[in-house]
This record gives sequence, C-alpha cells and structure tokens, in this order.
Amino acid sequence: MSTDNLITIEELIQRLKMAKEGAKKQPGLMKSSASYYQMVSTYVERIASAKDDGCWVATHGTQQPLEILEAMDVRGCFIEFWGAIADLTGKLESAPEALSISASTGTPGEVCSFFRNFDGLSHAGKWPRTDFYLYASSVCDNVKSFHTLGRRYNIPSFGLERSYYPFTAHAMEHWKNEYKRYIAFLEEQTGKKMDYDRLKEVVALSYRLTELHLEIDDLVAHVPCPLSPECYSGTLLAIRLLPGTQQAIDFLTELRDELKERVDKGIGAIENERFRVQWSSFTPFFDPTLMTFMQQKYGAVNVCDMLSRWRGESKWMLDPEDPLGNLAYRTLLAPGNCQYSSGIDVAANLCDQALKFKTDGAIFNNNWGCKTGASYGPIIKDEMMRLVGVPTLTIHCDILDATFISRAEIESQMDSFFEMIENSKAYKARRNLK
Amino acid sequence: MNTPFNTLNEMVRLTSPFPESDTVKDWRASGRKVIGWYNPYIPEEIIHAAGMLPFEVTGNNEPVQMQGAEAYIYSNSCSKIRTCWQLQLDGQYDFLDGLISSHMCDQDMRLSEVWAYYKKLPYMDNIYAPRKRDEVGVQLYLKDLEDFRSRLSQYLICRIPDQHIANSIRIYNRGRELMWQLYELRKRDRPPVTGAEAIEVSKAAARLPRERFNEMMEQLLDEIQRTGREIKKPRRLMIVGNDLHNTNQVAALESLDAVVVVDEMNIGIRYAWGQVDTKLPPMEALARYYVMGRPVDMHTWNSDGRLQFIGEMVEQFRVDGIVSEIVRFCTYNGWDKFDLKKQMAERGIPILELDLEYGHPAGAQVKIRAEAFMEMLESRAL
Repeated sequence: MSTDNLITIEELIQRLKMAKEGAKKQPGLMKSSASYYQMVSTYVERIASAKDDGCWVATHGTQQPLEILEAMDVRGCFIEFWGAIADLTGKLESAPEALSISASTGTPGEVCSFFRNFDGLSHAGKWPRTDFYLYASSVCDNVKSFHTLGRRYNIPSFGLERSYYPFTAHAMEHWKNEYKRYIAFLEEQTGKKMDYDRLKEVVALSYRLTELHLEIDDLVAHVPCPLSPECYSGTLLAIRLLPGTQQAIDFLTELRDELKERVDKGIGAIENERFRVQWSSFTPFFDPTLMTFMQQKYGAVNVCDMLSRWRGESKWMLDPEDPLGNLAYRTLLAPGNCQYSSGIDVAANLCDQALKFKTDGAIFNNNWGCKTGASYGPIIKDEMMRLVGVPTLTIHCDILDATFISRAEIESQMDSFFEMIENSKAYKARRNLK
Repeated sequence: MNTPFNTLNEMVRLTSPFPESDTVKDWRASGRKVIGWYNPYIPEEIIHAAGMLPFEVTGNNEPVQMQGAEAYIYSNSCSKIRTCWQLQLDGQYDFLDGLISSHMCDQDMRLSEVWAYYKKLPYMDNIYAPRKRDEVGVQLYLKDLEDFRSRLSQYLICRIPDQHIANSIRIYNRGRELMWQLYELRKRDRPPVTGAEAIEVSKAAARLPRERFNEMMEQLLDEIQRTGREIKKPRRLMIVGNDLHNTNQVAALESLDAVVVVDEMNIGIRYAWGQVDTKLPPMEALARYYVMGRPVDMHTWNSDGRLQFIGEMVEQFRVDGIVSEIVRFCTYNGWDKFDLKKQMAERGIPILELDLEYGHPAGAQVKIRAEAFMEMLESRAL
C-alpha cells in the first residue's frame, strides 16, 4: 500500500512557506493573507519544534480548553486542522491515501474521515510526534478513537465529558471540575505544576481574541462583504489553533484593521456581489477552490459558517480571578459548540447568523461520516426556510476526500441553486428587485 | 424441530401486534400513559414508579423500508434510528405520550430531536449517559436523574416519591433475576432455548408491564423445567454488536446447525445483568447500577472492559465462534472492531463480521458467508 502521498510535517511547513510567499506576490489578494499563512506556519512549526523547545505535544479533538495547554507548555495538534490542511495546501492525494490505510486496519469507512485520516497517518507513522491525546464528549462519538488509538500506540489519553444540558448549576460545576482533572492529568504527564498566574494571563489574551473575532464579524456583515476567500478561515483558525497567544491576536488585529479599511472604502470581496452565502455546517475543506469559483461564476460571496461563530453574546470572562470558571463557560459558547446541542438550537443559531450577515442562501455539506449532521441537516434546512426564508443546498460529500463527489456534480447543483434563489420572492424582496 | 413453549407464544401474543399491542391498548384504555424509551441509560424504574408503562422504541421482526424517514434523517446514519422514525411516520408510535432518550450516542440523541421537531410529544426528555465509568460519572448521572425525576414529576403534577421508586426497583430486580436464570440455563451443553427465542423474551420484558412479564417469566422457567426441552446443535455461537430486534436474523444463523447461547447486546445480557442495590437510597442505587453495575458497553470510551467481558462470556458459555453484527454507521462499534478481532484472535475465537442494516434479513451473500463460517468451525472441532 502506497504511503508516498501522505503529508508529513516537514512537507507541510514547506508548503505553507511557499503559500505565504505566493500570497505576497499575487496581486489582488488581501494584505492579511500573508499573515494568515504566517500564523498557520507558526502553529505547525511550534508542533515540529516542541521537543527541542522543551514542550509537549497533545493531539486533540475539538472543544478543548487550549488555554490550559498554552499555560503548561503543551502544544496542541488539532486533528481536524491536520485533516483539512493537506487539502487546503493543495495536497489532495494525502487524505484518500490515509483513508485507504485506515480501512486496511479494519476501521469502517462510515466513521468520520477526520478520524480515519488520523488513524491512517498514525498507522503509517506520519502523524506528528505526540505525547498524549485529549478529547471531549462534545462534539461527537468519534472521540472514542482517541482511547482506542491510544491503547494501540501506547499513548495516554484523557477525555472531558459534560452533561447534555450544560447550563444547569450542577452541569457547570461538573464541567469546571473536569478541567481540574484535565490539569491533574497534564501535571502527571509532564511532571510540571500549573502556574495559575500564567493561566490568567493566557485566558485574558484569549478573551481579547474573542473580542477581536466579534469585531471582525461585525465588519464582515457589511454589504458588500469585505472578506475574501483567501482570508476566510483566518478567524476560525486563530480561535481554534492559537487562543491565548499573541500571534493570534496580532493576526486578527491586522485582519480587523484591513477589513475596516475595506469597509470604509466600500471594497468588497468582489465587485458585483449578487449572493451572500452561509455554510450551515463547515466550509468545503475537500475543495479549496470552490469558494473562489462561486465568487467568479455566480457572484456568490461566503459570509459566515457555523464553525466560526460564537453563541449568544459570548461575554465569557465572568471573573478574571477564576480562569477555570471562565474557560468552562467559554467552551460552551465557543464556535462549533452548538453542534453538541439540539438541531433546533443549531438552526436557531444559524438563523441569527442569516439575519446578521444578510444571507441569501445556505449550503449544507452533509459529510458522509458525520452522524450528527446527517440527522440535524433536514431540521436546519426546514427551520431556516421557515424562520428567515433562506433556502439550503445540501451537498452530500466527504469532508476531506475530494474524490467522494465530482466537481461537475457540485457545479451542476450550484447552477440550479443560485438560479432558484435569484428567481425567488424572498431574494427579490431582500434586494428590492421586481 | 423443538416444540415451542406455550408461555413464549403467550408473550409474543401479548406483545402483538407490534408496536401497539393488545396489552398497550388495554393499558391506555384504562387512562394510563405510555412512555417510550430509547436506550439502556433510561431507568425504566422511574417511569414505572410514576405509574406509566415504559416501552422500548425499536423495530421488530419485519424489515422496514425507510425512504420516508430519509427525508428527515439522511441515509448516512444508523438504520435503527431511521427505522424507528419511519415507524413513527407510519403512525405506529402514535400511542406514545412521551419519549425519553439519553445521549448514549449521537444518533440516539438526534432521533429524539427529529421527533421533538417534527412530532412533538407531550413529554420529551434527554439524559446524559456518562462515557467514563467512575465515581464522577455516577455523580453526574445521579444529578441528571434527579433533574429528570423533577421534570417528569412536573409533567405529572405529582412528585415521584422515593418509596415508589424503591418498589419499582424491587420489581425490576426480580425481572432481571428471572432473565438471568434463563442465561444460566443456556450454559448447558444442550440449552433449552434458542438465541432467537431468548431475544423474544427480552423484547417482551421491554414491552410488557414488568409485573406481568415477571409472572410469565416464572411460568416459562417452570415450563422449561417440566418439558426438559433441549436444543441439540453442535456449534455454540455468541452475538456481539448492536441490538437486534429482528429475531429472524438470529433464527437464520441457527438454521445452520448452531445455536446462539449468549450475546453482549444491551437488549440481551446487559438487560438481564445484576441487581440494583436495595440498601442504598433508591436514586443513588439506580445511578450506581446504570453507570457501573452492568458490563462495559460500546459507548464507554475505555472499551478494554467490553472486550474483556466478551472474552469472559466466551469462556463461561463455551462459545465456538462469535458473530459480530454491527449496524452500519455505528461509530462506537466501528472503533472497537480492530481490537475486538485482535483480542479474540489471541483467545483463538474466530469472528464472522456481518455489517447489516438494522432489521433487514440476511440475504444470500450473508448466508454463504455464515455457511462458510460454520464449516470452518466444524473443521476446527475435528
């Protein structure tokens, strides 16, 4: 079985360097795009150099309190990022090969491909060196794989779990106590004590990052939308990869300032913005060119997605002297966390987005291996139409595997979708068209 | 061909037609409520203590065409939840006054949401099912159970007292004790019941008022003793994986000169396992039993205990081969497959892996594989 196309950390560093240089030279891109690649490079290089720097590496799933890791010199390696980044840097052959290796170990093809990619790369010895695995019951059942693979590769693991109704007093207390156990696990693994003063500083930086994210959301909501595809994932990655770091704050500050300038000058992602699109699950990781294609062919601009949006007002800094309490609250409001709630709640969140970002249509990627999406997709579709008059295109795909659905099929579906929107009464009413 | 048990026939009659049986109709005719439950982290004892009939929402012996359901739940999800939702769409679960699910798995949780959105019942609830088997998990679950008791009491406008719950625990403990006696009998060289019959017994337990079930279970054990019935099949099988409610699937295996002597299903051995501690306060006793008192199941993150349990049952029931029946898209069982196969290989126990759609009959291809598996077991025995 071939392992030639599997992405390695060294190759990824190289590809990101090239992307950064390319972004500097390519005319028409947002200035922040070079800094975007720099931030992502920093993240990957931190993982690569962890051992030399006297740090540890934790491979982890979503909804982790990364601020705790940051305060303890543990560098996170997010499996979803590692799955998507090969595609996003143009190495489209890596994921299908990793999935194939995973299948050869007996892992069924119906489980989430982020985890199968992790499985395949680990089996082939191409996953970054890892000291331990960290995971949480939010968001999905696939986190069981951390324990399974930990047993297989002799890597210790720790899982956080929370109640189905997270905002009750006892559930909040339990969740905060889970963080204490999480710290105890890390202390045991690293032999290092948590420095709570440092944690407070990291949490304060993380809160500043949230504030910047929310400011950026307000700017992106402008018509025309000032955010171009090359920087679209910037906020998502800053929040999900490097919270509590100055590097992430520096990037979002630069992005915020550039967006403000573009709004002031009336510069949009494209000249003639015809449609505003929201991704009601995730953006198309499996095809990094799709967002640019949509802009060029349909004048459709991507303005928001579920994974990048906070819940509610997101004022999670309740008491600066209680960093764990703040973090416990933060992760319940964090982008993507609403997936752990009911589909009706997810839909309500998306409808809020639709109104704020003035969207004309939604695209739902029904990811083959995602059981949560397969069941709440129809609720979201129906609720968005009912409450805010926004129609949904459902694309049945695999989140990482570009070979799962053909590009021609997607384009054909999009042709019909945008034609349908353009002729709809809701669209005409929003645009004051007859 | 063994003579059928009269008591088992009566159990089947009382639970027919499925799902709204004559028993359910009689229950409702007397003005009492029926509450559906969906997975093994819902303590039936609390529903029972509230004077309502707990009824497990499942499919049954007939495969269900799920095209209608797939407009609400895409086909890349577990066919058990799509089957149940299809039955709801067909009006077959209209008799439910409520539905309680637990977040044991994403798909169970999502089914209850789809139900809540498209067909809201007067009472709907969810309970978290801890993934970690430890004291922290017990305390989390206990608090969730107390919240659940409060919400159910609010719905009934009547506090469900500890005393009623303690009484229900005694009744359900008796049911488990009787079901376990049947498992013990299946350890015999010539067990008195087939695997298909044993599953029919478990289904009856989840569909009948428990007092009635217990009476019938006593009759069945008595009938087994009186008749001295023996199943004379050379190969002893164990079924592992997801719950099966279509007993025809098991009967098809047993038509191949083998008998299923044990399983590791939630509706099977776990449903019959152990006792709730009657010396503890009843809610705490329930929490301890449901989190820690049963064999480790597929949803527990650390599945070492599950794999070990399967190995122990193989030894206790002298199993020749395992049939792993995993419903497609089951994430938990999917992640256990590799290690299950490895650990059973180390124990010298062969596994036949059948990944099927829930409730659908084994087709010709499956039959060929099962026949080859039986031949392999036979050659090992020589």
